Amino acid sequence: MQSLTPSSRGGWLRGYWLPALLLVFLILFPFIVGALTESSPFGVARGDRMVMRGESVRWQSVLIEVYILAILAMSYNLLFGFTGVISFGHALFFGTAGYVLGLLLEYTALETGVALALGVLAAIAVCGALGLLIGFVTLRLKGVYFAIFTLAVAEMFFIFFGRWQLTRAEDGFAITDLPVWLDPSQSRISFYYVALALAVLTFLFIRRLVNSPTGAVFKAIRENEDRAQSMGYNTLNYKLLSITIAGMLAGVAGILQVILNKKVGPELLGVSYTVDPLLMTIIGGIGTFSGPVIGASGLHFLDVFLRDAELVIAGITIDIANIWALLLGVIFILVVIVFPFGIIGTWQRRRATRKQRAVTTGHPPSA
Amino acid sequence: MSSILEVRDIHTFIGQFHILEGVSVSVTTGGITVLLGRNGAGKTTTLRSIIGLTPPARGSIHFDGKPIQGRQSHNIAQLGIGYVPEHRAIFRSLSVRENLQLAERRSGDFARKADFIFDLFPDLKRLIELPGGNLSGGQQQMLAVARALVPENRLLLIDEPSEGLAPVIIEQLIAAIQRLSSQVSVLLVEQNFRVASKLAQSYVIIDEGHSVAAGAMADLVQDKALIQRYLGVA
Repeated sequence: MQSLTPSSRGGWLRGYWLPALLLVFLILFPFIVGALTESSPFGVARGDRMVMRGESVRWQSVLIEVYILAILAMSYNLLFGFTGVISFGHALFFGTAGYVLGLLLEYTALETGVALALGVLAAIAVCGALGLLIGFVTLRLKGVYFAIFTLAVAEMFFIFFGRWQLTRAEDGFAITDLPVWLDPSQSRISFYYVALALAVLTFLFIRRLVNSPTGAVFKAIRENEDRAQSMGYNTLNYKLLSITIAGMLAGVAGILQVILNKKVGPELLGVSYTVDPLLMTIIGGIGTFSGPVIGASGLHFLDVFLRDAELVIAGITIDIANIWALLLGVIFILVVIVFPFGIIGTWQRRRATRKQRAVTTGHPPSA
Repeated sequence: MSSILEVRDIHTFIGQFHILEGVSVSVTTGGITVLLGRNGAGKTTTLRSIIGLTPPARGSIHFDGKPIQGRQSHNIAQLGIGYVPEHRAIFRSLSVRENLQLAERRSGDFARKADFIFDLFPDLKRLIELPGGNLSGGQQQMLAVARALVPENRLLLIDEPSEGLAPVIIEQLIAAIQRLSSQVSVLLVEQNFRVASKLAQSYVIIDEGHSVAAGAMADLVQDKALIQRYLGVA
């Protein structure tokens, strides 16, 4: 993202002050909300346990959900926005990771800590392997055929886990066995920081990857695969790498989701976890670093604020919850019209045009 | 004279269409050979067949004496063939620098060739941080050619470099291609006969998917009947 490039004058902080400020705010967020609403960021003590009550802990979960969706959208953006591979099955990775972790935690006799560590590693590994496998079988297919195949595989898993008796079919199963420090119903604030850290790390990792020579090949494939190939790149290998990494990152998001809700169910594999990151990426800005984050937080906050609201038009009360999907559609259409390249993408293009003017009129480029 | 590329009687299909129905091209080492012919004759498909993007169904292609037909295009490129597609085929969202670095086959290629490239195309040095899509048409074409010069290529396939460019830019490109041909053999597709005759030492004429004539450029320039028959220009 161009706004993150440090300027040569003014040093490191000058280019990074906005994200640094945002990060400090997010780190202090539970305490800020706590101070504003006179609630404890650690919940309320009841006997020797903490009960997760109060505004601060409630808002912590809202932000944790934002971080999870942001990781999922960033992962989708790596594949779609930077490599140009359209997948309609991102929920596959999200949900599979959740099931793998859940199965290890609830269906094995391993000690909690061991099961958690193994579950996280296994979930990420399975997602990577799934990505590699699906890619290997289908990435020779172009565009829409690949997308349809990923949709089919995701739906297959959705139906399978929706019927599998071992995992209680449609009901899913609860996660009861979590270490206290990670358990969002006992110490939500530490889970908050875990989720925040993972979202920040995902952001930095993707930025590093995309700005590397490998990332340049991803972007070249997005623009014209034949051209990249005729320059000597085995583009299939690069696309496999991209889908494997994207799958693993989506798996991280799925792991966090399962821990937050302490529940595993087939809804994790549902089509909404494919469509939402797609919408968030497009609204925020395809192929930009902060776009998916902006899209994810924007849509989730709208959801949180508007879902319970009521609208009174000409004496008729309308529950927003009932028309939420409609509202989302309208927002999507408006954003696409006003910001054809997403919010961040459109803004960056305007900046680039201004910069271009400065170069062509003879002023030296500022960076 | 030895030839670096020998294309013998290739047949290429795109979908159900039989585009090349017997094309033979020989490129001599260290010179410029031009493919001439009308629109739709099969010139671009010939280049794409050589680089493996539309692999020929029949016939043989030898590069440096070794058969290359049927290989995947990235493997063919790695043997030392640079392909400059038509329509200013750069990566628009990547900066000029990224476009050039992407062309590296071994790390440090760009650093080794930077002086030569900026000497040929001084504009690129000034524009190095701009996205390729922000360059003018002529600058984009120069970047496309420059990219093929980054790795150690022994043969360049250049498709219609002068298409849609202003005369003054075309002159610059002609000069640049002339200079680079002292280092690398070139197979050029060029519709503009004046440009082609200035640049190339030998020619191959392709008509309706067949190679119909070949020889030295100096002879073709004299042969008005042949030019009239296949190229429709005098």
